[in-house]
Amino acid sequence: MSRPEKTAKVNLLRPKEGHMRDEVHIILAILFGWGVCTFGFQFLVYACRGTGAGSLLTRLTLFNLPLHFWFTGQLLPLWFIVLCVIFNIYVDRITEYHSRRRDRSYE
Amino acid sequence: MNDSSWSIFVVLLVLLSFILVGLRQKSRESQEYGFGGRYTGRIGGGAAIASNWMSAASLMGLAGIIYLRGYQGLAYVIGWTGGYVLLLVLLASQIRRFGKFTTPEFVGERYGSPAARLMAAVIAIAISIIYCVAQFKGIGLIFAFMFDIGYEQGVIYGALAVVSYLVVSGALGVPRNQQLQYLVICVAFIVPLMWLARKLGYFWLLPQFGYGRALTDLAREFRIDFTLPFAGDSLFEWCALCFTLMVGTGGLPHVLSRFYTVPNVRDARWSVVWGLFFIALIYWSAPAFAVFGRLLEARQGIVFTPGTARAAADVIALKTALMAGLPGWLVGMLAAGALSAAFFTVAGLLMTGAASISHDLYYSFMNPRASETARMQVAKGGTLVLAALVLLVALNPPGLIAEITAVAFALAGNTIFPLFLLGIWWDRANRYGAIAGMVTGVLCTVAQPLLGGVLPGLTSYFPVTASALCGAPLVICVMIAVSLATPAPPEEMRRFLEQEVHGHLD
Repeated sequence: MSRPEKTAKVNLLRPKEGHMRDEVHIILAILFGWGVCTFGFQFLVYACRGTGAGSLLTRLTLFNLPLHFWFTGQLLPLWFIVLCVIFNIYVDRITEYHSRRRDRSYE
Repeated sequence: MNDSSWSIFVVLLVLLSFILVGLRQKSRESQEYGFGGRYTGRIGGGAAIASNWMSAASLMGLAGIIYLRGYQGLAYVIGWTGGYVLLLVLLASQIRRFGKFTTPEFVGERYGSPAARLMAAVIAIAISIIYCVAQFKGIGLIFAFMFDIGYEQGVIYGALAVVSYLVVSGALGVPRNQQLQYLVICVAFIVPLMWLARKLGYFWLLPQFGYGRALTDLAREFRIDFTLPFAGDSLFEWCALCFTLMVGTGGLPHVLSRFYTVPNVRDARWSVVWGLFFIALIYWSAPAFAVFGRLLEARQGIVFTPGTARAAADVIALKTALMAGLPGWLVGMLAAGALSAAFFTVAGLLMTGAASISHDLYYSFMNPRASETARMQVAKGGTLVLAALVLLVALNPPGLIAEITAVAFALAGNTIFPLFLLGIWWDRANRYGAIAGMVTGVLCTVAQPLLGGVLPGLTSYFPVTASALCGAPLVICVMIAVSLATPAPPEEMRRFLEQEVHGHLD
């Protein structure tokens, strides 16, 4: 009797249990932080044009730069670095955790 | 010495120092270091990533586009830094575990198809050519500035210089010392900026923050608002450009193959963080050149018309330094930094492109029994052909440096990024999907120039510099649909992906 074929073993949206699932969780979290701050903020600036909130975003200054310009030109690149650091720390941790688990299973 | 002879002197000094350091490195390398190149650590790896990345687009194009378009230009800053997040979280460690270093090799292996490999090689070469055109424009402008000649002559001399440097360094086997190169580029860019800020009376220790006051002065004295969001362009255009540059970064062949000089996956990941930091250091500074340049122009009563501004944009960093009356050696340093960035990017791209012609097109596809000598000759001829092609286009450049570069990113984001993304994260993707995806991606990239006249709607959804916002998702959908409609890829490849690429810790 032939066994049913095992399909879709690697799928970003349906990760298998263990290391891959942990990794995919952090990937999705980082991508969320990346997308919301990059594009979400631009939507916000666009949507608030001509309103009080809009003028708050474009007139309030930080380091003499209007808030929106400072956010996009200076904070976002820094935020990307922070995201990469968080990702690396987390992946280092799950790698260690799963390596230990794997080693024990061979004991 | 006047400004231009100073810059010639500094440029020659820099190029010579690279050759000398390269030679020293070579003699040390053969004794001390084994396979896989020199171990440089995470910071060194980061500097290598950054110097590999820095090109005329970063040092000249970025300031130019911000000078011209203000807030819209920041899409380039965000696109070119945010792409590294995508690269790190989605691709870096997996590609490394996959073990294929160049784009055609990866595609050929993962999708098991010589045709897909051939297409990927042609696309990678096309990306190199477009990217090189932008660099050649930068080199031509600096040569024209240094020798006080016309742009076209500048490009021709520049091309001759690059090709002869390639011949000399190729014959010597000079390995490029990328950490030193980053240091040179970074110092050459930031020291003149600090000087400039000091001369204009702004906070000079960190000119990246000091230009804020210049921006305020520009608005107060001349009523020029540099920061108006979405003034000339729409939100869609901003986001499309930004997204295109991001996915393009994740798909650029010479960036993807950067992860193999560091000994392990963990160091590779951390060196991306350092690389991003080093890149951001330059990208925080570029807007300052644009703002200072605009302010100086306004103070000197130079009228800012779209035509003259477009002509001045790509050399705005140099022009600003000249307008402010910076010492000649400092202007020379700035020119040398930009020139060496463009120079080494071109050298790297031409060599990779020629290797691809020789290995992926000639050896693997046309003549598998070719001898080593024949392959070498094809590679050398390939370098010349590529350089000649690039020169031909660069004589009459189709846009600003940053814009030409963006087209290369759009092509990479529409074709190679989806191939890698699905190739690594979806085991069901197969060769038919890959080929259909590549064809769709190329069509999306050329939609505006080729079909824009017939179907005007295409122009708004697939603008030539920013086609990947609609293009990349479309290509991914096409790849998924075609893959599902055709037989699954071989079980061995799926098992390899599950066990080696993703299951190494199960």
